This record gives sequence, structure tokens and C-alpha cells, in this order.
Amino acid sequence: MVDATSKGEPPGRREQERHGHAYGRGHGQGLGLGLGQSHEQGQVWCRRQFLTTACGAIAGGLVLRGATRTAQAQGKFAGEKVVFASWGGAYQEASKKGYCDSFAAKTGATVIQDGPVDYAKLRTMIQNGSPTWDVVDVTIDFLYNAAKDGLFEKIDTSIVDTKGLPAKFVHEYGIANIVWSYNIAFNTQTFPDGKHPKTWSEFFDVDKFPGRRALRDRVNPMLEIALLADGVRFESLYPLDVDRALKKLDALKKNAVWWTTNSQSQQLMIDGECTLGILNNGRIYDAVQKGAKIGIEWAQNLQSVDYLVVPKGSKAKNAAMGLIGEMVLAESQARVSNIMPLAPTNPEAFKLITKEVAPWLSTEPANLTQGFPINEEFWRDNYKTLAERWTAWKLS
Amino acid sequence: MNDRRDARAWLVLPAILIVGVLFVYPVAWLLARSVSEPVVGLQNFKQLIETPVYLKVLWNTIVISGSVTLLCVLLGYPLAYSMAHAGDRLRRLFIFVVLVPFWSSILVRTFAWMVLLQQKGLINKTLVDYLGLIDKPLTLIYNRTGVLIGMSHILLPFMVLPLYSVLTRIEPDLAKAAASLGAPPHRNFLRIYLPLSLPGLVAGSVLVFVIGLGYYITPALLGGPGDAMIAQLIEMQIADFGNWGLAGALAVILLLGTTATFLLVSRSLIGVR
Repeated sequence: MVDATSKGEPPGRREQERHGHAYGRGHGQGLGLGLGQSHEQGQVWCRRQFLTTACGAIAGGLVLRGATRTAQAQGKFAGEKVVFASWGGAYQEASKKGYCDSFAAKTGATVIQDGPVDYAKLRTMIQNGSPTWDVVDVTIDFLYNAAKDGLFEKIDTSIVDTKGLPAKFVHEYGIANIVWSYNIAFNTQTFPDGKHPKTWSEFFDVDKFPGRRALRDRVNPMLEIALLADGVRFESLYPLDVDRALKKLDALKKNAVWWTTNSQSQQLMIDGECTLGILNNGRIYDAVQKGAKIGIEWAQNLQSVDYLVVPKGSKAKNAAMGLIGEMVLAESQARVSNIMPLAPTNPEAFKLITKEVAPWLSTEPANLTQGFPINEEFWRDNYKTLAERWTAWKLS
Repeated sequence: MNDRRDARAWLVLPAILIVGVLFVYPVAWLLARSVSEPVVGLQNFKQLIETPVYLKVLWNTIVISGSVTLLCVLLGYPLAYSMAHAGDRLRRLFIFVVLVPFWSSILVRTFAWMVLLQQKGLINKTLVDYLGLIDKPLTLIYNRTGVLIGMSHILLPFMVLPLYSVLTRIEPDLAKAAASLGAPPHRNFLRIYLPLSLPGLVAGSVLVFVIGLGYYITPALLGGPGDAMIAQLIEMQIADFGNWGLAGALAVILLLGTTATFLLVSRSLIGVR
């Protein structure tokens, strides 16, 4: 866990803060605390005296620090602790810098970073009634499934200002903070000068575009992609024609390498194990930054969204809502996008995003118009059955 | 004397506590969920039997574990034999060579195999580019071949070490006696040496087979879609679906398979002796 105030607060901070306030009201020097008690203790007096002196010193320090942080002490959530759980790595680092630090500075709350998010763990801690996470970054499919099971607190719109957000990014139990997409990634040495596949149909054409494909080992979005490749129009995609999709995928099976984690997908492309792949836009950007010879195609990109939720039973519910409110502000989202190409849900953020990053973002207007949102309501109702079907298909 | 032995028995207590709290309790808890979630009953086991996918994965698990055991016997027996009959320095070298990979992390070794077996990995590069023996790179990874290579390598020490300790105890005079009575080498091996080495062979095979049944990382990283094993299915049920009941049922089957193998073999071992 990394402390978001970065000062490395000592443990038991809330206790001391309370003492600190007491001294503040009682004219500064709080050496009196405990002295009266220690007189009664006789034999342990010396140790007591030492402890109270030490305590007084700490308290004195707090008073001093309190003075420099008056703004914080008066903050809306001063002294509250919010645990933010996310996916670790560069993404969480960007979230900390973009969302959490400014929230801590504005409100006086402490944001503690934890993770990585593990849905089984999250479910278990909520069902046990004592979630240790207050704000969690979850994928949309989990939001839909878990909201159905009543695992989250309702979003308090009196704290979270949702007016600037498109309606599709506001859910009763969660607020969308980033958008990402599955794109066609291609090896620029094998397919130079724009000679790469530009539609999913071409992506499936192994005669015209030879080489192995790095494919996502998950029923969602593979069925959508297969149907788009087979010529189905996006408008008539749902409900998915599963048999048709799997039949289309049969033809690609021999040329497929399946990935389960994002870093695996990058590695397959970087090592030249695959010449084409279905990768997340952020991962293609990351690989390109590191010098990989990979390109991105935005045509027919499949978009999905991450949401922020508050687990039911959170002990810092209001502060958690406050943090979510901070996360949907245009300036917070732009800060994150400028660190990592994660597309903002607040359109205002684009005014603050650099020209270098904008073309990599899924909600950038040109990319958005070429993209399709994955229908998560369909997946909420069908994921379990189709995931089983998917495993069966892979094994056959 | 008796008192002292009793006093020493207490030393076992911390170990029992640790095993009890950290192993028996959580495992029992998971197993209990197999018959209590979502409702009390055997519905999870019914689902396992009725869904072909699960049976296929169970079958996969047995076939992969069995093949790996066979490969380990074929590779491990000659190795253990050479170790048992080598001079002191050579023997130390052999033991070192077997143990060093044994001490390094499974994950590291699995990734090392990924580097070696890829399309543009060391093996394919050597065969195609440097030696020109073949035109197109071999598909050695993301399929059954990759899983068998990786698992056999990682599990080989579990075969070699028990086998070696048995082979070193075989009386060399017995083979000499058989030879002096006119047994040709192959019969000498089949009638004298092999039966005497059987306890080590069986112990090694059981270890490899049982450990192989629960393998997760290696098949997940080196295997293709058709090589899923039971541990991957358990992980999927918990992490993807939050379905502890079915995961518990799969764990029960894994545990039963392991126990059955042990019982079967320990009985046959007694028979051998």
C-alpha cells in the first residue's frame, strides 16, 4: 500500500490527529496530557514521563504541521481515510497522480492505494460485511453483474457531480472514468505503408494477410469480432448469433495464439510471435513508446468502459463518493490521459489533453465514430453460459 | 524413556497447528461449499458430470499428467542409473545439475521455456536460420508439445531423486551372480535390476503424477486452448464467475483423484515388497 499523501503518515494517524486538534484549542503545548494520570502510577512514573514527553513532542509536531496545512484541516473530509483499489502498475500510478493527490490536497482526506483488484476477493469482503476497499475500479461486466447482486452503494449524486458526463457513463451504482478499446494491432515490418488489414474481415483473411494472430482468450469480445468479420452490421449484432461466430472462428483456429493478460498480448507482438493481434489501445501505445514496430488501426474498434464503485458497507462512504466526484472532473481526467492514453469520459477533458496523446484515445471524436460499444447488458445475462460454451469450443 | 518421548511429541504441535489453520481449515471450507452453494445438495457434482467441458478437462488432466509421468520415467531412469553408477565427482556433478533447476522458481523456468520454444526462439532460430535443417519453424509452444516439455522438465527431479536413492542401494553382486549364471544383459536387467528398482520407480511416478494433476502455471503459459487442466478450471470458476460451489466440487474431484492414486499405489508397493 502506498500512502497517497506521500508524507508517510505514521500509523494510528487518526488518533494523533484528534489529540492534535485538542491541543490546538488548548493553546498549543499539550504536555499536560497524561501527566495527571502518571502521578498516580508511582513506580512506572519515569517510563510514563518519558512516554508523555515523547507524546507531547509528536503532538507539538502535529500542531506545527497543522498550521501549514490549515486548508486541509478545514477540508470537507479532513482526517478521513479512503482506500482506493485499482489494477496496479502504471495505470494505478497515473490514477494516484491524476485523481487521488488532488483530492487529498483539496479535502484533507488520506487516500490509500491498494490492489490489484480481484473480483473474487471483492465479492467475499463485501459479503462478509467489512470491505477494506472504499473506491474500486472495476470493468463494466463486473459492475453489471455485481450491481444485480446488490454489492455496491448507490452513487450519491449530491456529492458526485454528473452533469458534465454523457448519460451512458452514469450508472445507478457506478460512474465511468475511462474508456478503452480493442483494436487491430499489426507488425509494421510485415505490413508496411498502410498495407495492413483495415477491417475485421481482412483480419480474418489468412491468405491475403499471412501470419499468426494474437487473440483474446475470452468469449467477449471474440464473438462480436467474429460476427463483424463475417459481415454482420453492428446494428444487428445483438443478440449474438453464437453458432455463426464460432464457425467463423473455426477458420482462424489454426493461426491463433490466445492471450489472457495484456502484457502477454504485448509480448506476442513484440517478439514477432504474431504479426497481427487484437490488443487494447493503451497496450499498443505502450509497446510503441518502448520502440516496438507495431501499428494501430482504429476502424471497427470495440469499446468498453471502466467504472468506479463503492462497495456496500464501506466505512468512508461519503469521502469515497467525494473521491469519485474528483475522478470525473475534466482536469483530473486530462491529467490521467496525459500520463497514460486512457480515454476520458468527460468530454471537457479533451481541451486539456495534449495533441500527442489525443489520437490514441478511444473517445477522441474520430476514433469514437469508428468504434462500437460492447453491449454489456447482453453479456450480463449471457456471460456464464457463453463462457462455458467458449471453453468447450476451445477444447474441441 | 517413555516420558521423554512424550515430551518430545509436543514439538509437533506448532506444525500441526499451522497445517490445521492454514491448510485443513480453508480446504475443508472450500470442500464444504461444494455441497452447500448455492443451495445444499449435490447440484454442483451433477453439473460437472452433465457438462461435457468439465469431463473433457478432467480427461485432459489425467492424460497430460500420465504422459508427463511416462516422459519422466523415460528420461529419469537412464539419468538416475548413470548417477547411481558414476564415480564420485561425476555423481556430484549429476546431482548438482538435477538440483539447481529444482531450486529455481517454476515461473522462471516456464518463462525460460517460452523464450526457447517460440517461433523466433533459440531452438527454431538454430534449426531454421543457423543450421537450415527445416524451412518453417516448428510449433513447439501454445500446444500440447509445449506443456509436455515444460512439465517434464520441472517434474523430472521428483522422478530422479527417489529413483536414485533406491538404485544406489541395489546390491551389485546380484547382477554379477546372474551374469555368472549365464543371464544375458537384457534378461539380467529385466529379471534382476528392474524389479529391485521398482519401489523407486513407483514412488517417483506417483510423485510426478500427483503433482502434475494440480499443475496450473505451466499449462496456462505453454499450452494451447485445448490443454486446459483442472486447476485452470477451478481458477476460472472462482475468479471469473465467483462460483465457489462448482470450484469446490472440482477441488473435491482433484483431491479424490490424488488420494485414490496414493492409496492404489501404496497398496501395490506393499505387494512389490
